[in-house]
Amino acid sequence: MIVYQCEDSLESIFTAIYNAYEEKRDHDDTIISLNQEWLLFAQYVPVIPMEEKVLKVIRTLKRRFGEEDYMTICYALASPSEDKAQAVYGTVVEGLRGKYAKGHLFDNLVNDDIHKVFSLSRGAGNESHHLLGFVRFQELENGVLFSRIGPKNNVLTFMMPHFADRFSGENFMIYDEGRGIFGIHPAGKAWYLLQGADILKEAVDENPGGWELSAKEKEYQELFCHFCHTIAIKERYNTKLQRNMVPLRFQEYMIEFVNY
Amino acid sequence: MEYLATGQEMSLMEKLEILTDAAKYDVACTSSGVERQGNGRDMGNCIKAGICHSFSSDGRCISLLKILFTNECIYDCKYCLNRRTNDVPRASFTPEEVCTLTMEFYRRNYIEGLFLSSGILKSPTYTMELIYQTIFLLRNKYRFNGYVHVKAIPGADAEIIRQMGFLVDRMSVNLELPTAEGLRNLAPNKHRKNILTPMRQIQNGIHENKNELVVYRNAPRFVQGGQSTQVIIGATPENDFQIINVAESLYRKFELKRVFYSAFVNVNEDKDLPALPGGPPLLREHRLYQADWLLRFYGFKAAELLDEKRPYFNVLLDPKEDWAVRHLEYFPVEINRAPYETLLRIPGVGVKSAKRIVAARRSTCLTFPDLKKIGVVLKRALYFVTCGGRMMYPTKLDEDYIVRNLTSDKDRVKFGSDGMTYKQLSLFDDSKFYLQPLPGDRLQVVSGQM
Repeated sequence: MIVYQCEDSLESIFTAIYNAYEEKRDHDDTIISLNQEWLLFAQYVPVIPMEEKVLKVIRTLKRRFGEEDYMTICYALASPSEDKAQAVYGTVVEGLRGKYAKGHLFDNLVNDDIHKVFSLSRGAGNESHHLLGFVRFQELENGVLFSRIGPKNNVLTFMMPHFADRFSGENFMIYDEGRGIFGIHPAGKAWYLLQGADILKEAVDENPGGWELSAKEKEYQELFCHFCHTIAIKERYNTKLQRNMVPLRFQEYMIEFVNY
Repeated sequence: MEYLATGQEMSLMEKLEILTDAAKYDVACTSSGVERQGNGRDMGNCIKAGICHSFSSDGRCISLLKILFTNECIYDCKYCLNRRTNDVPRASFTPEEVCTLTMEFYRRNYIEGLFLSSGILKSPTYTMELIYQTIFLLRNKYRFNGYVHVKAIPGADAEIIRQMGFLVDRMSVNLELPTAEGLRNLAPNKHRKNILTPMRQIQNGIHENKNELVVYRNAPRFVQGGQSTQVIIGATPENDFQIINVAESLYRKFELKRVFYSAFVNVNEDKDLPALPGGPPLLREHRLYQADWLLRFYGFKAAELLDEKRPYFNVLLDPKEDWAVRHLEYFPVEINRAPYETLLRIPGVGVKSAKRIVAARRSTCLTFPDLKKIGVVLKRALYFVTCGGRMMYPTKLDEDYIVRNLTSDKDRVKFGSDGMTYKQLSLFDDSKFYLQPLPGDRLQVVSGQM
């Protein structure tokens, strides 16, 4: 039994898959693991992510499974679950065995690994879609739009293209608090991610001492909160339904709930 | 353009409060149906699936900035808060105010777009011109590329409606009351002809536009997101059968995207309006939405769900379960063989589950644990399906037995935030209203045994 030990990143897991195929392992007897548990009678192989290997794997997956199924795998890898690496490995092995047409890999939900990847991907995809609506920007003094999010899945990468397309002429920044990643978009230019920027993180945590909101910002926040409260029909009050639709973990970042 | 003097002394906050409060009974809320990428120059894009930005305390989605341009109105519709004879504070926006609000909210990602309706100032055509001015400003000067939904005012000139169609993503006209008689009673200034004419015009415009697009790919788009309408439930005595028939013919004849059902909320104490002591008819609205979904996605017809003898929906079972229980001759359905249209009719199987079943059964024979993975609600479906010839638990295909299990206490629909469930009162303690007498019972009655 061989166990590949990866860190929690897409590059690392794809490198592990590449290694498993390159070293011609018996796929039923190989595990890709993220955690540090030690099994008896297993041989542990550490994995060092390498760019060319990752690119080759991506090309193969896109060619064999099609764009959509490849994106499903990427969404699954954005989830926080510990089993994602093994589930994705199992799915890739099953898919490369050759019985599936492009775009139909996730038809066979009877297979456990495929079902697991499908459900992780669905969870991450749903959270990403919810966040497209729940992200709230604040205008800072220098005109930059700043937003904080705290998602369970690592979905910042999937959200940025949407906002870059929508607000192509604006400077904006989205901060994933749990992971310390910044998504940055300068006006009229391409967006990028910034990770491990401790100086920026400190400045954000000291807010409002770090960054001031612009003058009009307070006014628009109040207008919007008032709009949300006025639009409710009193005879149909149903806070339970409201909480079902907007779970509490999103509400703490949304201005109309914070000031309720 | 003249605005009333009082309008200009009010703060933006006050105006927003009055005009949002006035618009909230229009339940159209979607921002879906249009896929339009940003063009690098304007601000905004549209997503086909639509995005819900927030949810209000009544649980409804907030996706658009839903406001009236003005709540001045020359009409006197009895159900409306803004009727001419009501003494409510009146306000009007200026076009610049509407545009600024929309843009500033949009760039903070509070909304997906604008929903603009209006009370009728001076005349329908005059009001439409004001709205047109606002949207023109929004699109061309403020360069807004997001979603715009505008209400067409019934009775406005055809040309202004045509021009408006090129600026907006969705245009709708409210039917308000399901029958012409109801409309005559409660909204004497509105005529059915005035409502249906713009609907027909928009429908024809959309068709013509599709043909133009075939010839010239960059032709301007006309009402890309289609049309919708709204029907008020509970203000007039129409039964569910009449309402669902109206909805079905609207979908067929006018090719609407959506019909919205709005439970009547009593805001005016008018003698022609029902008192509704139990509050707005929320369960009835819910059943109508369920039936609406069945018409649009599950291939049902209105005549299958209700008929003259049973004109109201079942309170305890949803329309699909109700149909299945009355038509047990179609069941049990074999999951591994039945065609897609039959799978859709199984309670507990939705459109997504049916598609996944059809895809998954190509590679393996499905069993009940597999169905659970796929997402079928086995709690409801188990009475109606077989896998490889076997049912999940031995079940009699008997109406009483199935209904008793489907409506056991813990499965009953909970409606309203206080957890109260709707239950129709009956002299009989089993409250089963929909059961027809069995043929054996009929014979017994005739022969005198009962």
